[in-house]
Amino acid sequence: MSTLKLDRRSFLATSGAIGTAGFFGLPLFAGEAMAQVKKLIVRVDSDINLLDPAYMVGGSEIEIQKAVLPALVEFDDADGSYGWRPSAYVEKFEQRDDTHFDFTLKSGFMWTGGNGELTAEDVKYSYERMKTGDWKGNFEQLDRVEVTDKYSGTLVLSQPFAPFVIIALASGTGGILSKAAMAKVEGEKYTTEIPATCGPYLFEWVPQQKFVFKANPDWTGPKPAFEEVECLIIQEGSAAELAFEAGEVMATKISAATHARYLETPPANSTVTVAGALQYMWLGMNTENEKLADIKVRQAIQHAVDAQQVIDGAYSGTTAKSNGIICPGLIGHRTATKYSYDPAKAQALLAEAGVSGLELELKTLNVQERVLAAQIIQAQLQAVGITVKVIPVDEGPFWEMGDQEKGDYKNLQLWLMRFGTNTDPYEATQWFTSDQVGVWNWERWKDEEFDRLYKEGQVESDEAKRAEIYLRMQEIMEDTGAYVWINHEPETFVHRADLKITVMPSGEMIWRDFKSA
Amino acid sequence: MCGGRLAAALTISRTPAPMWSYFVKRLGLSAVIVLCALLTLFLLLHLIPGDPARIALGPRATPEVIARYAEKMRLGEPILTQFWIYVTNALTGDLGADVFSNRPVLTIVLEVLPNTLVLAIVALAWAALIGIPLGCLSAVRPNSWFDRVTGLLSVATIAIPSFLVSIWSLLVFAVMLKWLPVIGAGDPGDYLDQAVHLILPAFAVGLGWVGYLARMVRASMLEVMSENYIRAARAFGLRERTVVFRYALKVAVLPTITLVGIGFSGLLSGAVFAEIVFTRPGAGKLIYDMVVNRNFPVVQGAVLIITALYVLITLAADLLVAWLDPRVRDSL
Repeated sequence: MSTLKLDRRSFLATSGAIGTAGFFGLPLFAGEAMAQVKKLIVRVDSDINLLDPAYMVGGSEIEIQKAVLPALVEFDDADGSYGWRPSAYVEKFEQRDDTHFDFTLKSGFMWTGGNGELTAEDVKYSYERMKTGDWKGNFEQLDRVEVTDKYSGTLVLSQPFAPFVIIALASGTGGILSKAAMAKVEGEKYTTEIPATCGPYLFEWVPQQKFVFKANPDWTGPKPAFEEVECLIIQEGSAAELAFEAGEVMATKISAATHARYLETPPANSTVTVAGALQYMWLGMNTENEKLADIKVRQAIQHAVDAQQVIDGAYSGTTAKSNGIICPGLIGHRTATKYSYDPAKAQALLAEAGVSGLELELKTLNVQERVLAAQIIQAQLQAVGITVKVIPVDEGPFWEMGDQEKGDYKNLQLWLMRFGTNTDPYEATQWFTSDQVGVWNWERWKDEEFDRLYKEGQVESDEAKRAEIYLRMQEIMEDTGAYVWINHEPETFVHRADLKITVMPSGEMIWRDFKSA
Repeated sequence: MCGGRLAAALTISRTPAPMWSYFVKRLGLSAVIVLCALLTLFLLLHLIPGDPARIALGPRATPEVIARYAEKMRLGEPILTQFWIYVTNALTGDLGADVFSNRPVLTIVLEVLPNTLVLAIVALAWAALIGIPLGCLSAVRPNSWFDRVTGLLSVATIAIPSFLVSIWSLLVFAVMLKWLPVIGAGDPGDYLDQAVHLILPAFAVGLGWVGYLARMVRASMLEVMSENYIRAARAFGLRERTVVFRYALKVAVLPTITLVGIGFSGLLSGAVFAEIVFTRPGAGKLIYDMVVNRNFPVVQGAVLIITALYVLITLAADLLVAWLDPRVRDSL
């Protein structure tokens, strides 16, 4: 048994060391190697509301599910493009044909709370239940799950749906629940208390403060690198960045402005990791507005805007230039646009259209980077003779501007818009079909070929053909003259240099896969 | 005869109102204040531009989810109907539920309220411990260098906004020197950790009050020190320390009680800046976060509780003063 010995000499020595370290601003444990650290402390940007995969909102709720719930597949970006691979819970997950996916679970994975073993019945229960939840869109094509034996089964689709595995199973909606545990829950719906978990960690929640994951002693799968993960809830991005610089968290998401600052002067012992860039921003134009009804005017604007200048000025060059709505790494990503920055051509097009002294309104969300981007575009359009008034709009009215029922869509002219997407091109294209005019297609154009290709893209399983479909769809969009592609803003993280982080392309951290570098 | 009536009238007017009467009137007024505050908040929240359901759920929420949210929030009902339902439920202790997690609003607020109360108490306590003696010493030696320096510092601390103190103290003591933690309220159950996490927020929140209390006590002391009974005490040859601390301060601190009452109530809502800067869970930060997320039931519940606390503490301070100084009872 060790005893604490405290004499005057040791007290003075210890106090002196602590005082000196503190005075000179040295974190007391700065020299601690990651290999010896058993506890990982990271930041999450929101508290939880609903942990039920069928009704969740997203964000940190997905991160938690990834840490404690089983899934059949997980994201894989090993070759630089987004795909999927079988998870640690399965022996086999294979696509038999366009509508059948066979799986076999590994044996021995136990649910907490005495709810037995993970079985194919749990998979059937969980995924068929998703068809009635808030995320049913992801499972619309799932007809049923056939159970073959205790561990095996088949997911059967009603019709081919190429993105099914990636958007339904590999994303946040792919979590499997315990059928036995759910039967004990009133209404078979839960909010913040997961009835049973089956993962490397056990989950504790201190509301509005943190989540704590402690190693699950009954876990028989691959052991995570950290015995404990503490996730501090810090909503404010700047507060999280300060917490990282003070050494209180080991990893956090950062803004584009901070990314640029860290590229110049990175904090000590840190690395910046850029995860996915699954967001696409563009300058939109209302094709039905009288000032923009002439395609030559819209094409003039396409030629008058230099997206790279916007990226350099508003995003400090930290984002990728966009050439369409399909993000980098996805099937159908474009590498170039048909138009180019050419102010002379812009002026010529305006002259051809017989337009002079054009005055337009450019609306944007009232967010620092986007207002700055709008102001740069304003200057660029001024250079070709178009006077633009930049109008920052708060979130509520902004999202209703182009809504046919609630917004003043007829007077909407120019706007800066950013959408997020997932790892399949189908998701990004769905907002621009004819039935989306007045919903999310605020540019208000319709194209029969686009609508047909949208349907074909969902069922086409050949990747090369799918790529052609989505390339053509973006070309159609661009040809309307209603879009100036701006950028793909990435999910960027700063973390300790001796830590290797794993992040989903959509920005959720997978703590169970974090490792010492 | 006439002189007798006048004397009687004077005697009646000098008899203070009974304490219970003052208490009832004050309580009624408090209820009206809470109701008015709640109605104002209710109307303001519904005047925010945009569809509350879509704002709360984000741009991509499906129509089904939006419809369910609107139904749950009873957004289809007229605002006054919504208000009436809310008030009647609140009277039975039901403040509604979080629209997303379905957790009772009361539980959510009570989880973080102790953090705010502790922060306000500690901030005010240290401010009082420093501010009252400073004001007292300044009054004892008016126009001395000590009085001038104290005056200057007092005005400075009052003038600097607490959010600025929060940010600077955080940058210096947490980020640069790394002496104190940046975020949170410390581990639940670990009192030492919680105390360490309290230092910077309490410093930031209380600093302005040091100057405020010092000025208040100084002014009050100077007024009392010129009273006849103080001169009499001195004439009797009592020691200056006894005169100041035993007789003058005792009376001079009375207005400060009301001030501290109002100040404490103000700190409950004023702590929001410190709670946001230090990411410290508390009622202020809860309200801020929920406003950002348009989680109206939690905002309403939290504001109702804070308003009720504000009114109760002010009421307690007023009652204390009315008990100590019966003349106050006639002022209502």
